Amino acid sequence: MTLLRAQDVTLGYGGVPVVHGVTLDIAEGGAGLIGESGSGKTTLARAFLGLLTPMSGTIWYGTQNLRKADRRAFRADVQPVFQAESLDPRMRVGRSIAEALPRADRHRVPELLEQVGLAPDLATRRPHQLSGGQRQRVVIARALAVRPRLLVLDEPTSALDVTVQAKVLDLLAGLDTERLLITHNLAIVERLCRTSHVLFAGRVVESGPTADLLGRPAHPYTLALRDAVPKLGGEPPVARGRAEARPAATGCPFRLRCPLAVPECERAPEVREVAGRRVACHRAEDVLTGP
Amino acid sequence: MIEVRDLRVGYAGRVVARVPELDVGAGECVAIVGESGSGKSTTLLSLLGLTEGADVSGNIKVCGVDVLKAAPRELRAIRGARVALVMQSPQAALSPTTRLGVLMRRALKLHGLPAGGRVMADAAEAVMLDPGILRRYPHEISGGQAQRFAIALAIALGAEVILADEPTSALDVTVQAEVVGVLRRLREERGLALLLVSHDLALVSTIADRVLVMRDGAVVESGPAAEVLSRPAHPYTRELLEALP
Repeated sequence: MTLLRAQDVTLGYGGVPVVHGVTLDIAEGGAGLIGESGSGKTTLARAFLGLLTPMSGTIWYGTQNLRKADRRAFRADVQPVFQAESLDPRMRVGRSIAEALPRADRHRVPELLEQVGLAPDLATRRPHQLSGGQRQRVVIARALAVRPRLLVLDEPTSALDVTVQAKVLDLLAGLDTERLLITHNLAIVERLCRTSHVLFAGRVVESGPTADLLGRPAHPYTLALRDAVPKLGGEPPVARGRAEARPAATGCPFRLRCPLAVPECERAPEVREVAGRRVACHRAEDVLTGP
Repeated sequence: MIEVRDLRVGYAGRVVARVPELDVGAGECVAIVGESGSGKSTTLLSLLGLTEGADVSGNIKVCGVDVLKAAPRELRAIRGARVALVMQSPQAALSPTTRLGVLMRRALKLHGLPAGGRVMADAAEAVMLDPGILRRYPHEISGGQAQRFAIALAIALGAEVILADEPTSALDVTVQAEVVGVLRRLREERGLALLLVSHDLALVSTIADRVLVMRDGAVVESGPAAEVLSRPAHPYTRELLEALP
């Protein structure tokens, strides 16, 4: 039984939908939401945190509709980890963490700091007296305070230097809490998530085991993302298709960018099972066999 | 095109960048890599004399101009024209009420160059932009288009050197691939010299001929990119490479 599940969820702002009919489970072993700016990944994460009510469809929290669920229990189960700048700059970090704890548990602040690899005496510092990596650890400690079952991580390391990022990733990989990770960085998803969902223009275009998805993509957008990532000592990144064409309003949203688009793509593709993953593309088989 | 010897840049008595040697020839790409606060952007800005309030010593020659001794007029002649600066978010530097074409025409006139429609359209096409974009305002274009417009401006002005500070780190990875493709082509076809500041070692390994690794204001390792990034000699370079996710 998965803790959270989106069923045919449409989300938007001011009545304008930006996420369209998404169905996905947050499976065990870490789930990644991958996509570019504007793909809807943060909007979807907000819905999973109960911060945004679906225009249609349901977010299931266990067997309950999240809209009707007990908020207190939900908050104890599902905690967000945003970028480090979400800390109150005026508050000592020990107090920031203590705030998240029941009064009787406030003695756990040093223990939580140690759990994220920080010295307990840092509790008396204010955020600006810490480095970016230390601040991010405080944010994680605060989220862990209520012993959640799931962490929702929105670009948790994208503002950090690479050596600091590596240490925060080690920390996250070592936690026994489940995670939903929102990122544009495929390498991080590979490290932290067994399952991945690729979003394009507010639709899940491919879902499946991360290793399969990135090893042998079945959707041309997943392929474009993967090949655009520079690899150390590798060939220069490849730009496949037109990266800046707008999503199509009808039919397959990716078709104006897609190097494989055919007239059939003017009809919206159904999500179907191909090679052990779910993919929304008329030409998935051709993408899999590759050029 | 760029020749730096014994460069030291300091603020209030504290040295924030020391670069013993940095050369970039025509058609070459050299990258400065390092983390926040390593001095890489300071080094880049000092090449155009843009480190205001800093104590700068050493020798800096850019397109034959001795930057530390040159008169303001001489510096103005290379800045923007022979040497172009491409920053992380060019949109922030574009006037929001001015169409891109008007902006380009003004830049050309400022440097005493002919500002015909053909010159401008050619520059746009050189970076794979539809010349129609010159009629748009900065908020009407995407981040990747803005970055390519900044490069098109350099092309129109006849730049020989591009100094780029994290030119793609604010862009989506598919758009980054396009911008990097444009930079590579300009280098090959027009012999542009490219000095790239980046924190992304993987990206650097695919484009740079040589690399300088900086930490806390000092160059800890330098050499051919293929060599340094595959067989790092300095422990910090190794640490950076091992940290790649």
